[in-house]
Amino acid sequence: MTARPWPGATTLHLPAERPNQRSDDETIEVTLAQSGDGHAFERLYRQHVTRVHTLVRRMVPDVDSDELTQDVFVRAWQKLGTFRNEAAFGTWLHRLAVNLMLERRAALGTRRKRYEADDAGLTHVAARRETPEDAMDMERAMARLPDGAREVFVLHDVQGYKHDEIAGMLGINVGTSKSQLHRARMALRGHLTR
Amino acid sequence: MSIIDPWTERLSEYLDGELAHDERIALEAHLDGCAACRAVLDELHAVVATARRLPDLPPSRDLWPEVAERTRGVLPFSPRTRRLAPSWARLAAAAALFAAVGGGVTWFAMSRGPGASEVPVASADVPGSATPRNVSDRPRGTDAAVAELEQVLRRGESRLDTATVRIVTENLARIDSAIAQAQRALAADPGNAYVSRHLADTERRKIELLRTAARIVQSQS
Repeated sequence: MTARPWPGATTLHLPAERPNQRSDDETIEVTLAQSGDGHAFERLYRQHVTRVHTLVRRMVPDVDSDELTQDVFVRAWQKLGTFRNEAAFGTWLHRLAVNLMLERRAALGTRRKRYEADDAGLTHVAARRETPEDAMDMERAMARLPDGAREVFVLHDVQGYKHDEIAGMLGINVGTSKSQLHRARMALRGHLTR
Repeated sequence: MSIIDPWTERLSEYLDGELAHDERIALEAHLDGCAACRAVLDELHAVVATARRLPDLPPSRDLWPEVAERTRGVLPFSPRTRRLAPSWARLAAAAALFAAVGGGVTWFAMSRGPGASEVPVASADVPGSATPRNVSDRPRGTDAAVAELEQVLRRGESRLDTATVRIVTENLARIDSAIAQAQRALAADPGNAYVSRHLADTERRKIELLRTAARIVQSQS
């Protein structure tokens, strides 16, 4: 038997666009911001706010995403001294955002059972479709995923992080990340094909 | 195919190119004979493709004014530096203040490349009648003032806590970096009035930082 690739097998594992493009320009901006330059920090804010807000809104759709995005940047300013250029600033910022989201969820008492089997939640996702627009459908369907599946799906398929990176961010193991991703995709598949 | 088909559970890994070679060969053999699994794979492919096409979701309003308000008066230092004694905090604030703006704007002008004498975002700060200055146009005594203050600081360094010394050193390095960038930019584009003006501003800020540090050294005597 001769193996042959199936559609997508050789293309979809490529990472999506990620906030990890390190540039000298940004390094300088970060250095200036670390020295207390509010204008440099504003430029960093304007460069990254949309992607941070997008991440926040998709990861925790049940909170005020504008307010939480503000919180991310305030925290970023407070923690800027801990950034050491070991990663791209965007990656550092996203990690900080994820930590803040997890903290917020824990404070709200909604983080329980994030990674436990919850097929009822997945069925719920698959059972509703409100608009033929794929993007709108996807947003709504993602919002209905169980927390754990949604977090991994957003980070992997939307943001382009790898499983080991996601495991580090969310405090789970790589196997859990993979299984949650598959659960999310299967649920969303059912939604989009109805 | 049933939902419990064991291969179904591996389709995401296959899609992501994460299966080992032997597993991939075996799964592809299974796909050859399983139309249902091929259909699921196509659907998963569609899910991932849709996810990658999702547009960004900007905030409903400009959040910067509120972020700026909430960070006003707070310096971006690590928890360690925020435990500084009052004089350190004062020095840190001075350093942050004096290191601000000039280097960043210089960077912006530099990033536009040689000949970029117009800086749209700050055009109001660059009068059209501004006289281009070269590095050689620096105010007389700049180097001497810097040297004198650095000497004062070196002599008094032993009286300062290591955290204070670190703050001063780090901020001076940042300012020096900004100065060096501006000098390089001016070397490439000597007529750039904007960079020239900010080079002078940054040098002035360096002197002000050194003066502040020197005052703190003297107050520790």
